[in-house]
Amino acid sequence: MIRRFNIFLICTSIVMLVGVYMLKFSIEGTAAERTALQIHISEQEDDLTTLKADWAVLNQPAYVEPIVRRHEAELGVSQVQQEQFGSFADLPMRPAKPDTAAMDALFLAIDAGVDPIDAILELEGIE
Amino acid sequence: MTITADGLAPTISLDGVRKARGNLTQARIRWMILALVLGFGAVGGRLVQLGMAETDTTIEGQTRDAITATRPPILDRNGLEMAVDIRVPSLYAEPRRIIDIEEAVTKLRTVLPDLDETWLRNRLTGDKGFVWLKRELTPAVEEQVMRLGIPGIDFITESKRFYPAMNEASHVLGSTNVDNQGIAGIERHMDAESIALLQELGLARGNALTPVELSIDMRVQHVLHDQLTDAMTRYQAIAAAGAMIDIYTGEIIALASLPDFNPNDPASALVKDTFNRVTSGIFEPGSIFKTVTLAGALDSGMVGITDEFDARYGVRFGRYTIDDFHGKHRILSLPEVYKYSSNIGTIRIMQAMGKDNYRAFLSRMKFDERVQFELPEMRVPSVPKELSEVGAATASFGHGLSVSPLHMLTAYAAFVNGGNYIAPTLYKRSVADAEPLYERVIQPQTSAYMRYLMRLNAISTGGSGSQMNKAAQGYRVGGKTGTAEKVVDGRYSSNKVTNFFASAFPLDNPRYALVIMVDEPKAENPQSGTTAGWNAGTLTGRVVQRVAPMLGIAPDFQGLLDQQIVPPEVRRIFPEGY
Repeated sequence: MIRRFNIFLICTSIVMLVGVYMLKFSIEGTAAERTALQIHISEQEDDLTTLKADWAVLNQPAYVEPIVRRHEAELGVSQVQQEQFGSFADLPMRPAKPDTAAMDALFLAIDAGVDPIDAILELEGIE
Repeated sequence: MTITADGLAPTISLDGVRKARGNLTQARIRWMILALVLGFGAVGGRLVQLGMAETDTTIEGQTRDAITATRPPILDRNGLEMAVDIRVPSLYAEPRRIIDIEEAVTKLRTVLPDLDETWLRNRLTGDKGFVWLKRELTPAVEEQVMRLGIPGIDFITESKRFYPAMNEASHVLGSTNVDNQGIAGIERHMDAESIALLQELGLARGNALTPVELSIDMRVQHVLHDQLTDAMTRYQAIAAAGAMIDIYTGEIIALASLPDFNPNDPASALVKDTFNRVTSGIFEPGSIFKTVTLAGALDSGMVGITDEFDARYGVRFGRYTIDDFHGKHRILSLPEVYKYSSNIGTIRIMQAMGKDNYRAFLSRMKFDERVQFELPEMRVPSVPKELSEVGAATASFGHGLSVSPLHMLTAYAAFVNGGNYIAPTLYKRSVADAEPLYERVIQPQTSAYMRYLMRLNAISTGGSGSQMNKAAQGYRVGGKTGTAEKVVDGRYSSNKVTNFFASAFPLDNPRYALVIMVDEPKAENPQSGTTAGWNAGTLTGRVVQRVAPMLGIAPDFQGLLDQQIVPPEVRRIFPEGY
């Protein structure tokens, strides 16, 4: 009776031992994984700080202005002059009724192959 | 015959089975106890040993945590980063773990040739647990050193402050040292406030710190810095500085001083003459101080806006005669005194007010104390405690006293905002937050007069601000020029001058005040001069022309807005207003 009980106890303890060891190793594995992840996160955070700094540099007016100056001639841009600003109040009110005579004249002109808008654009050197 | 026991073998005694087993058990128990005692003894001994061992967490007097301590990012008023933390690797060694010092020295010097050989050898020799070798390196260098595979050499990640705008806002931001502590500018102020405490308590870890929002607008700051840099070459000046303030909140929108430094390289701040001229430079303000005299006199009620003053002859004090630079030598009305920047007229106005009242007004405008401001780089102005007759006369046109450009900026802000002194700030502040801090220094009516006078100076023919107005057409800027002669070998020199232009815009409903300083300018071309209108004045015009659209100010050419600010009394002497 006792002999059987002992054998049972020995078997149980071996099983428990194996279980505990397996648990220990799996925890060690998880811990290693966690550490690796933490290192990875901290590395990525480090990279992120550098990227953010880069982004901040790229957004600086001091960085943008020389680029604009370099392409000033090609893009045809220059510093805004006061005369270029307007307000809604400066716009003429819509005429009470459409100017049918002028519209007819415009359509007739386009039909005849003369485009006044195109002429203005050509005059301005656009196109 | 006797039977002896001699021939007999000794008695054999045999233990019983039970007794023999008992003895054996006792022996086993003894052995067991011994084994247990030894076992527990070993465990206990190890515990004691572990308890005695000291873990080495110190890194040359600091804990590991402190060196990775972060600072909050600094943003401008629109949320653009002005200062951020980047993490960089720093190289350290553990000398007690280095096996071959000579090998380590040779190998390290292949990657970092600027390390001194003997210094490095001494550094690596010994039994220390930690020594810095080189701090704040690049990831590329880290990679190369790691590839060398020297035992006892490793990297640690440190926080380093980075200023993406480079030189542009150097005097506002200041800089930090290698331990990430603020040593100048707003960085130092932040430390004094709270960051140092946070770092000490161990709370300043990670990137979770709330960003600090400054009042600076980087776009305006860029324009100001760009124009000042241009002025340095255009006028071959030795220095140039400027600052802009929001007159209702006291927020500094831009502040720059040249020559400046790169906060990413704090050593560049040690170069001579890079001090912040706006806050820690004090200068004789020259004619821009006439605005102060006129404001004080008008506010005292002793002088009216249409009063006339005799500027036909110079004012004599004993042997000295004070005369006008652009002399008209006739009787001038008060607006004309301002417009022609007449020294004689200004002295007469000050005398009408009384020199003691005038001195009291200077105190009310806080000209004899430091401006209450966040930057640690400040200087106490030098204004005489008591003014003599001559002293008061020269002070009325800005000589014989020295104040910082920031003093002038806050004074001009108070003159045009309705008469409230507001201490400037570098932190974001709303009008509602600023209002409780207002201190009334002049009446709203006087402020209205000052707006008219400043605008008059810009648009009226012969006004000293007309050079400025050419560039800033339509933005209703007005201000006063100031050409202060420098003292060279004990006397005022006429070719070494400090030029100022103090202005405000848009004067029909002012929002911003601006002070520009150009130190020792030369004429741009033979047709121009060296007085303030030619350099500080035109510079102001160019700055306003660029920044006004950014600040949401629309140009206006109608002239109606200008007419609105003409006081009705003035129409009696100038019916057209200007």
